[in-house]
Amino acid sequence: MIDFTLIWDSLPSLMYGTGVSLQIAFVAAFIGLTLGSIFGLAETSSSRLVTFAIGTYVTLFRGTPMLVQILFVYYVLPQFGLSVAPFWAASIAIGLNSCAYISQIIRTGINAVSKGQIEAAHTLGFTRIKTLRYIVFPQAVRAALPALGNELITLVKDSSLASIIGVMELSKEASIIRSRTYDAFSILLAVSIIYLVLTATLAFCIKKYEMRMKAYA
Amino acid sequence: MLKVSQLCKTIKSKPILKDLDFEIDHGKIAIFLGGSGVGKSTLLRVLNNLEEYDCGSFDLDGIELKLTHVNHTHTVGMVFQHFNLFEHLSAEDNIILTLTHCKGMEKEEAAGIANRLLKRYELQDNAKSMVCNLSGGQKQRLAIARTLAVDPKIICLDEPTSALDPRLTGQVAKYITELAAENRIVLLTTHDTNLLEQLDAHLFLMEGGSIIESGLKSECLAKAGSYPKLNNFLKGF
Repeated sequence: MIDFTLIWDSLPSLMYGTGVSLQIAFVAAFIGLTLGSIFGLAETSSSRLVTFAIGTYVTLFRGTPMLVQILFVYYVLPQFGLSVAPFWAASIAIGLNSCAYISQIIRTGINAVSKGQIEAAHTLGFTRIKTLRYIVFPQAVRAALPALGNELITLVKDSSLASIIGVMELSKEASIIRSRTYDAFSILLAVSIIYLVLTATLAFCIKKYEMRMKAYA
Repeated sequence: MLKVSQLCKTIKSKPILKDLDFEIDHGKIAIFLGGSGVGKSTLLRVLNNLEEYDCGSFDLDGIELKLTHVNHTHTVGMVFQHFNLFEHLSAEDNIILTLTHCKGMEKEEAAGIANRLLKRYELQDNAKSMVCNLSGGQKQRLAIARTLAVDPKIICLDEPTSALDPRLTGQVAKYITELAAENRIVLLTTHDTNLLEQLDAHLFLMEGGSIIESGLKSECLAKAGSYPKLNNFLKGF
């Protein structure tokens, strides 16, 4: 039986948790998109050292669970004198994990831009940086947009992993209410609906943006 | 005058260009002929600093031409076989972006030049069209217009009609002739007999990375005996 009174009474806590979840997703997306774009661009360079370093990073972050990475940042880094607050530990770990995936999405997008356009830019006198900035990157992002959208949606859901180190995000708030009231069904249903609304809204915005981009193509 | 001397290029010990020499004056058209893989396109790519070469010297109007500088000084331009237009931009923006970032122009000035070039190549009605919405002929004209935007002294065209409807050959020949009439040096490769017929050009027949015979087209046709290899090639063209 769904206890609507419990859900109603829990709304302030759940809304607070939603705000924290969104903040984690936002910071992680910022880290993931910024570093991921830089790594994706750098991986197309001819330097073997750079591609090896990025390849190793991607293997490490894709090959280990995100939960372990969060625990690593929160519990292991302080042993090396780098103490990080739970919110930031979770955001950084999720962002660094996302960066590994985004770098590969961007690299694929860059490879989708025809080599001929880069050669044409070269003969016209564009510098390498300007070619990347004005010719390659806009097309790479456009090609990568569907995959990038999926990654951003995943980030929102992954923010729930921050609960493992005590961050009071949406899942953690729900977990506390559940252990206090013993009503798992009502509260988990409410939390699922909130996540669904968040991801569906994000998916809608990304789809709109994709359509807008297509209109220019 | 463009003078290329002793140009060599080897890939994995296979000679692609071998002791290649030629001269061509401003206002003239040079057509490089030969079968596939004789080094015609490689020659144009080397001149555009798209590929490295092993040895050789280049001289434009008595001054040494450093190929590593030709792109930034806008000395040489290239119209590619498949046009290589910037797909994410409109026709107009292909030219404007080039002018603002490669010539350092303000956007208004660049837009004025783009407008003139689009008009010259009958693309004014397609100025706002994205590249993917242009026909093959329109893309070809836009590619020429974009190359002309940076005003190169030497223009290379690699197989300019190969990706086009054969009915457009006459139009392309007209544009090429106009480029030469503006005192530019025009270098092109082609397998298109129709295009060759319509151009008054200096022919260079290549084989194994070298020029094995050359001469003015009119002379080659008039004195077939003096240009046996070229005539033989043209017969089987």
